[in-house]
Amino acid sequence: MNEPNHVPREAADAAGRVTVRPMLPRTFAAMLRDTWREFLDAKVLYLLLLAIAILFGAALTGRIEPQPGGRQYLDIAARAMAADLDGIDIATQSMGDVAGRLNGSMYAITAAEPIDADLPEGHWKATLTRTFIPLVGVPESGEEITDRFGKIADGQIWTITEIRETGTEWARKIGSQTWEMAVAPGRDLRLLWPHRFTLFGDSIELAGTKGAPLGLEVLILQKLLATGLGGTILLLVSVAVTAAFVPNMVRKGTLELLLVRPIPRWQLLVFKYVGALLLVAGLLGILVLAVWLITGILANVWSPGVLLALPSLLVFFALLLSVSVLTGVITRSVISAMLVTVAYWAILFIAGQMNNVAVESRIREANVGKLRPTSIAETIRGRQPRREEGFKPGRKPFYQTTIGRITEGVYAFLPHTEDLDNLVDRQLMRDFAVAGPFRALMESASFSWEKGLGLTLLHTVAYLGIACTIFSRRDP
Amino acid sequence: MVVSVKQLEKQYGANRALGGVSLDVEPATLFGLLGQNGAGKTTLIKILLGLVAPTAGEASLLGQPVGTFKARREVGYLPEDHRLPEYHTSTSLLDLYGGLQGIPRRERRRRAAELLDILGLAGREKLRIRGYSKGMKQRLGLAQALLHGPRVLFLDEPTDGVDPVGRKEIRDLLLEERRRGVTVFINSHLLGEVEQLCDRVAILRKGKLMVTGTVADLTRQKASWLVAFDREVPTSFHFPGASIAAVEGGSRLRVSFDPTDGQGTATGADAPEGIDQFVAAASASGLRLRHLERERATLEDLYLAIADGGGTP
Repeated sequence: MNEPNHVPREAADAAGRVTVRPMLPRTFAAMLRDTWREFLDAKVLYLLLLAIAILFGAALTGRIEPQPGGRQYLDIAARAMAADLDGIDIATQSMGDVAGRLNGSMYAITAAEPIDADLPEGHWKATLTRTFIPLVGVPESGEEITDRFGKIADGQIWTITEIRETGTEWARKIGSQTWEMAVAPGRDLRLLWPHRFTLFGDSIELAGTKGAPLGLEVLILQKLLATGLGGTILLLVSVAVTAAFVPNMVRKGTLELLLVRPIPRWQLLVFKYVGALLLVAGLLGILVLAVWLITGILANVWSPGVLLALPSLLVFFALLLSVSVLTGVITRSVISAMLVTVAYWAILFIAGQMNNVAVESRIREANVGKLRPTSIAETIRGRQPRREEGFKPGRKPFYQTTIGRITEGVYAFLPHTEDLDNLVDRQLMRDFAVAGPFRALMESASFSWEKGLGLTLLHTVAYLGIACTIFSRRDP
Repeated sequence: MVVSVKQLEKQYGANRALGGVSLDVEPATLFGLLGQNGAGKTTLIKILLGLVAPTAGEASLLGQPVGTFKARREVGYLPEDHRLPEYHTSTSLLDLYGGLQGIPRRERRRRAAELLDILGLAGREKLRIRGYSKGMKQRLGLAQALLHGPRVLFLDEPTDGVDPVGRKEIRDLLLEERRRGVTVFINSHLLGEVEQLCDRVAILRKGKLMVTGTVADLTRQKASWLVAFDREVPTSFHFPGASIAAVEGGSRLRVSFDPTDGQGTATGADAPEGIDQFVAAASASGLRLRHLERERATLEDLYLAIADGGGTP
């Protein structure tokens, strides 16, 4: 009621002197606002938002349209009925894993034609035949076929709306059944169906005239814009902007004004760090959300896997920022902080790539002469497995060379940041039913995002800890 | 004591910045710290602020060991060659420092508006510090030092770059702070200003405290008088204990008594009796007094004597 005259009792004593105990949230909020102002002052925010808007605009001129796909997915569905694929991951498990689940029958589509359109939402009329060994196998009913057709592992690519057995009783006895059926697309068919992807009206064709599976297109687009090119550019800009934060703060004449405050020195540094991290989290959030919206609007695919790119990129940036802060504290130079951080990034990238070569050479050596593992997804698409080739005479596998050994030795001490990226890729591949050897590798035991996360955080905390120690002990 | 320093030493590598300084400062004092560049003034202040740890000795501020949060809460600081972050405006900067001091938001806004008004910065709240003149930066620097109502102020060159009117305003502001019981430390090269403003001064030279005392005491130490008579004084006129020099012809004289025993302690030789006896002796020899003036040493004289030579003048 007496608001205007109210003076907080804690705020002023009789002499008008302000006496207040500093509180952590108040200090933090002050540093956060300071960081925000410094960031806005770099004028980069508007440029970044503009860039994202342009990206958004360009992407929205794009069109993704289904192409006639023919009966290939009917064939796949029929072939897959030869085994019980319940609980199997078709992307990573090979036909060998399925061998024990074969039911002794062969299924094929002998005739198929679209009822309305040869498109992912089109209905089909098809003839399915089943061949089995009489006496060993028993005839199947239409209900059983309806139950199983179109289901591959946990995916549903077709559903039967109408089914009628047309084979003769005689044919049945010698192990052949035939059904005439009407099928409707299942919920997962669209992702596999070939789509054209054009940009700027019809002027740029991104997926060939025959198109590519929709899931693959969305995956490539999301990967390119979020964790690939888009994320890299955003992180580079963020490194450039935040590299100035600490050197500006520890400048002579500025530092003293902060150090005289009644708060521990490490708090100044850590709060600045967290402030910068929150800012970049916001930027990454805008980017990732924009990518999710763009692909959603374009392709009407809304699976949230791409949102994982936000924590993945942020943890990586947290590491880069700690390197930048440490360099800034030691050298007090913006240029040094920027260059050292980018160099560190480059070293991580190169070491990661070289380590991949070493790991691949180990896997290859172990598998010389054996069939390369082929996923069920590849098998039912009709890809032929290849044998692993041996090394040329006199050539050692990379991991046995001196460089290879150094690579693996050095890599052991580095944060395995690319595992964070792999985590996103794996999720995208799961979301969009994309298979292949790369995904197989990421689903294998040799990939551990937990280890990548742990090592990255460990390095981050260590760099930040060293920076705080130096900052707290040095005379201004 | 607001400030109590005992045998304070600070060594930077091979460089001795402070070599055993002892100093006590009472509350509500305007204290001037003088000395050449590198004399140790800033080091002394930084130790008192807890920014730099001493190599040896003791220092306390308001009864607290220096550097404790409790002590820091009561201290305002304006560093020399300060660089206020240029991306801030006056209000956002005071908001930042106020927040770090732990002042609640409403309170620090009220206080900031009040100080900006007093320091003549009102109406420029939207201007970034980048666009400030040197004098404006200095005023804003003072505002941040005063923001949390400290009991001790350390000001390094507080009027640097400020115009004469602004200097007067700042002086008045500091006098008002003293009236409210605040102790103000001033590092300045503007000796005239220090003399005008400060109650006490200390002069540092190469890390040692050469002189400390009230401005009145220190400037009185030069015990000389300007005397004018109605006619030329004969060169034969002498007076024991005084050295006499002619100024402007022969009717005006500078009469000096040796004020110290050579170790910097006043001996009382400049006591009024000395000049009374001198005037009496002059009258006796027929000279009539026209003008008599006590000549005071300026702080500058004292300072230059210490800075040039080895000790007190």
